[in-house]
Amino acid sequence: MKKLKIGGYLCALAAILGLVGTILTIVSGMVSVDNPLANTGMIAAAGFVGAALCVLAIFAPSRWGNFDLVGSASILGAIALYCYTFGAAVGQRVMLVAGLFSFNAANEAGWSVFYVSVGAWACLLLGCVLLVASGFMKSVKEA
Amino acid sequence: MLARTKRGLWRGLTALLVLVLCVSLLLGNILEANAGTIDTALGTISSGFVSEHDANNPLYDKFTPPEEFLNADGTGNSHALIEAAIDLGRREAAEGSVLLKNNGALPLGSGSNVTLFGIRSHSNLLGSSFGVKAFGGYISLEQALSKSKTDFANTIAWTVGSRGAANSPTVEGWSGDEFDFDGAGFNLNQTMIDIYDKLGETYVHYENEPAAEVYNPGEPSISEIEGVNSGFKSSFAQYGDAAIVVIARPSCEQLDYLPGGVADGLDFESGEPFSLTKNERDIIALAKECSDKVIVLVSSSASVEIGSLKDDPDVDAILWIGAPGCYGMLGVADILSGKVSPSGGLFDIFTARNMSAPAMQNMGKMYYANTEGTIVRTGGVLGFNPGAYAIEAEGIYVGYRYYETRYYDCVAGTGGADSPAGAYASSGNWNYDDEVTYGFGFGLSYTTFSYEMQGEPKFEIGANDNGSPSAFATFSVKVTNTGSAAGKTPVQIYGQAPYTQGGVEKSAIQLLNFEKTDVLAPGESQTVDVKVDLQYIASYDESYNNGEGTYIMDPGDYYFAVGNGAHDALNAIMAAQGMDASKMVGEGNKAQAYRKNITEGFLSKTMFSVSKTGYAIKNQLPYSDWNYYQPGEVTYLTRSDWAGTFPKTYDNMTLTNPELIDALNGKIYELQTGDDTSAIKWGVDSGIKLHEMYGVPYDDPKWDQLLDQLTLEEAMYIFSFGGPSIPGADSIGAIETYMTENAGNGIAVNLNASKDPDAPWAIPSSDPNGNWHPEVFANAPMGASTFNPELMYELGQFEGIESLFTGINILWGPGLNTHRHAYNGRNGEYYSEDPVLSGVAAMEFAIGALEYGLVAAPKHFAFNDQESERGGVSPWMTEQRAREVELRAYQIAFEATKYDTADYDAGMRGLMTSFSKIGAIECTSSYGLMTEILANEWGFIGYAVTDIYDDVDLWTAVLNSGTTCFDTRGQGNFYTSTTLENCFLFANQMYSDPLNAHLIDGDANLQLKLKDAVHKNIFAWSESHLMNRYNATTHFGSRMTWWRATYMGLEIGSGVLAAACAVMYVLSSAKKKEEKVS
Repeated sequence: MKKLKIGGYLCALAAILGLVGTILTIVSGMVSVDNPLANTGMIAAAGFVGAALCVLAIFAPSRWGNFDLVGSASILGAIALYCYTFGAAVGQRVMLVAGLFSFNAANEAGWSVFYVSVGAWACLLLGCVLLVASGFMKSVKEA
Repeated sequence: MLARTKRGLWRGLTALLVLVLCVSLLLGNILEANAGTIDTALGTISSGFVSEHDANNPLYDKFTPPEEFLNADGTGNSHALIEAAIDLGRREAAEGSVLLKNNGALPLGSGSNVTLFGIRSHSNLLGSSFGVKAFGGYISLEQALSKSKTDFANTIAWTVGSRGAANSPTVEGWSGDEFDFDGAGFNLNQTMIDIYDKLGETYVHYENEPAAEVYNPGEPSISEIEGVNSGFKSSFAQYGDAAIVVIARPSCEQLDYLPGGVADGLDFESGEPFSLTKNERDIIALAKECSDKVIVLVSSSASVEIGSLKDDPDVDAILWIGAPGCYGMLGVADILSGKVSPSGGLFDIFTARNMSAPAMQNMGKMYYANTEGTIVRTGGVLGFNPGAYAIEAEGIYVGYRYYETRYYDCVAGTGGADSPAGAYASSGNWNYDDEVTYGFGFGLSYTTFSYEMQGEPKFEIGANDNGSPSAFATFSVKVTNTGSAAGKTPVQIYGQAPYTQGGVEKSAIQLLNFEKTDVLAPGESQTVDVKVDLQYIASYDESYNNGEGTYIMDPGDYYFAVGNGAHDALNAIMAAQGMDASKMVGEGNKAQAYRKNITEGFLSKTMFSVSKTGYAIKNQLPYSDWNYYQPGEVTYLTRSDWAGTFPKTYDNMTLTNPELIDALNGKIYELQTGDDTSAIKWGVDSGIKLHEMYGVPYDDPKWDQLLDQLTLEEAMYIFSFGGPSIPGADSIGAIETYMTENAGNGIAVNLNASKDPDAPWAIPSSDPNGNWHPEVFANAPMGASTFNPELMYELGQFEGIESLFTGINILWGPGLNTHRHAYNGRNGEYYSEDPVLSGVAAMEFAIGALEYGLVAAPKHFAFNDQESERGGVSPWMTEQRAREVELRAYQIAFEATKYDTADYDAGMRGLMTSFSKIGAIECTSSYGLMTEILANEWGFIGYAVTDIYDDVDLWTAVLNSGTTCFDTRGQGNFYTSTTLENCFLFANQMYSDPLNAHLIDGDANLQLKLKDAVHKNIFAWSESHLMNRYNATTHFGSRMTWWRATYMGLEIGSGVLAAACAVMYVLSSAKKKEEKVS
């Protein structure tokens, strides 16, 4: 394993954010029995695989060099999977959020779901941004 | 090195573009799934009907707007439409505003120099921040009094945002037409206007504001006025012809006022939100310094405690003006300037202390002592609090029925009515004169009228073909204008049934029906016929026939009277009965009353035990009464013992009865899995399509054929998703359509955002008035106070016309709940405390709307008696109370007997159920309410939707009850994006598997109920102007919108660029490899 450069660190951070975001997404579906998240298995799987691809994007350059095809594919795959997790969750919360900011402002359970969801979405989006940034940068120090 | 940099660049760009691609794909998915809602918000049309239109396949030939709203080429004339709305809003306020006091100060002459006081004179209250909102450009009080042309571009109504949302304008701006009007022609004191303009920076007010649990009217003090302009009083000399003070109390959805809920330090007169603060009292005192003519305008949707103003000789006039909507101030100006003589009557009784209503002992936030661990059902998708309730121990004595009945018993000396129990404004014993400021139905004019019964009323007692009773009395009342000004007046007929101590509870007076005169010149008379349905003077006796219960007419002396309000009519009856005039409050004119001795031979005691449909009436809501489950724990108010039964507060009740606990947990229906359903037909093609069903009577066998064509799954979609987007069904040629919207004061869709853009009269987005939003009319009490059925009908007609221009064929409104008390924050959306006034108003509105193909669906059926914990709160009451107060309003509206003909059974074709329960059972799931009473007794046929997302966890019970669909706002793109299986709303079912297409495969009862529900829904569609859009060629078509083009462009652009960057990245990688090799 070669010494990491900034691109590698960004991927590592993206992996952590992806994991946290995915876990929060799962939790958001469990905060209230009345606000379950449909298709949780697929959503979670996408998030976890995305995080795994981030890890692969850290290690692949050690073997195949910076900007290698495997690492690059991993970054793109992780972005797509994080977006899927994010999008699937947001899509199911649109009406909840619309209600909270209008006719259903007193929905305490809904606000709890909202706050957890916002945390999840922030993590996943930030993870994507970091992955994009890492795409421009070297991941390991090369001799 | 350069190659590596390039690779990094291409890879980074690829990643960036992939992110953009993914986000645009997600955006597209979200937009498509919510396309209907987005279309409404943005004024776009993303899908719709595609049809050929020729002589063989006509379109838009069933309902059309009147010629006056069309241009020569058949397109819509927005200018004419807005002009008509201004005129209607003006007339509604001119007839609905109620003159409560006038010592001659009003009217004011044109050219009067007037000073306005109170910050609400400058920042008018026009509507509710949530609910009945006044949208767009409006005519302010200042403009109506002193200008002659609208300034909509600079006078746009704002609204207070709900929690988390910013305060905002109701429309983004106005660049459309301005309109001329003839205002009052007063000269206004600009000094005070400027002061309030400046103070508005600190005391921020908007045209649409909410009620509040801790209320502060935000009225500046005198010292703050002085702080802006210390010499302001010098302006009084020039503008002292009159001083007009405006006081306001807003209303809104979701919040109630609460007892004692007032902001600190404001010195409310009675410590309650509807009493005046010190600053408000001071401003009235200041007005007295300004002028010897002090006029107070009360802007509210409930009784404001203005007893001190009534008694103050220096307050010359009081005019209630409601929340008058965008153009209602013109009507107010008409009254102030004498263009119109006021003719409204109060929608509610105005009391000295609103806390004196017996209902106030049990309102607000009360919870069972043992909710936790007992009630396992959650608060649902909307997160309501389980375990809330209100014991409505006042029984039938709601509003004026309480005060007038107690007054009657005080004079009669019965029931201990004059005891101190329940006395708030009286010193010592209860005294009507102290407790009541202005009675229900009361209103003054600039002239006076005399009312005289003309001979015997005409009784028509008989039976209909189906054996149901038909019993009417028509009263001919000669009304004479005995004053010196022209004017019109309501003709209100009240009744009194004979009461026996300890017998069935009966109000001493109740409104039976009303009409309104034409404008009568001084000295002119008009004989007005008022037809009364005698079933509304019958009493519901729950104990009749060993507890089976039904309506009864006790034999004895029945009294009928005409009067300027309930109190005047009651006094007339008391005079006719020879009661002691010295004990009466006010005088009684026995010429206004009529006695009829009703014997068994004339009208049998149980004549009204059968409904107009021929259905036997008996107890259907035993679970509405707490004592049904836990006997003896609640005492209801009875006039046989006012002191002993005046309601106590029932807080922290404990649930012990297992049946009660099961009911509260929603355990109402047990899904069957093994029924033989082979006889129930689904998917049997008869070749009938929806477009053929226009005008087909509900009981025509063709409907059965159409319904049999539906697949079970299609029917489940139509039941599950009741709007605003309603699913299509391929088997009958029905197309997914955005069909429903709020509200009662206009259709909540901009003119240029019509859901039916292909209509020949559609108003294009390029129209300068395109962003006119039709929710412009007054809050509901204003309409009620007109006591004018024709005007109520006209309002319905106009909203029907609006609906043709906006493409909405089902309206979630008007509000039809009862004003149980003044503290209900949502009173502005409901008409009145009286069921006859409310019911007639709703019926007229709905029948008028249906004339133009708009199905009005009044809400909230039923018992939405408070906003506090409205989601699932249990109002507990006797069935007599339920039927004689709340349900009577709906009954009048749904039966619509007035409009029945030999060939046509008129009626409303829609309703929305309540979030609340009735006793232990959700209204949505109450078979007694939804099927036995609504459908079987009243013959309701139509769309009966839940409130938004309500009781989605009780899908089977809701279907079983007779409710016909769920309000699933935001759901759309059915069968693909939104399915029975993936919709989060139905994922959590209390007593069955999550919703799926096979859920009721083994339940024959539910399959039959499903057919019935779908039949009623589609029948309602078929009576609406939706049918304008259907012919034999109609099919679904997707349309390009700017937002669709944007996300698609992003998808394609980012996809192509991402691919290109990826190729460049791969090529540069290959090049690097080659460099390495070489």
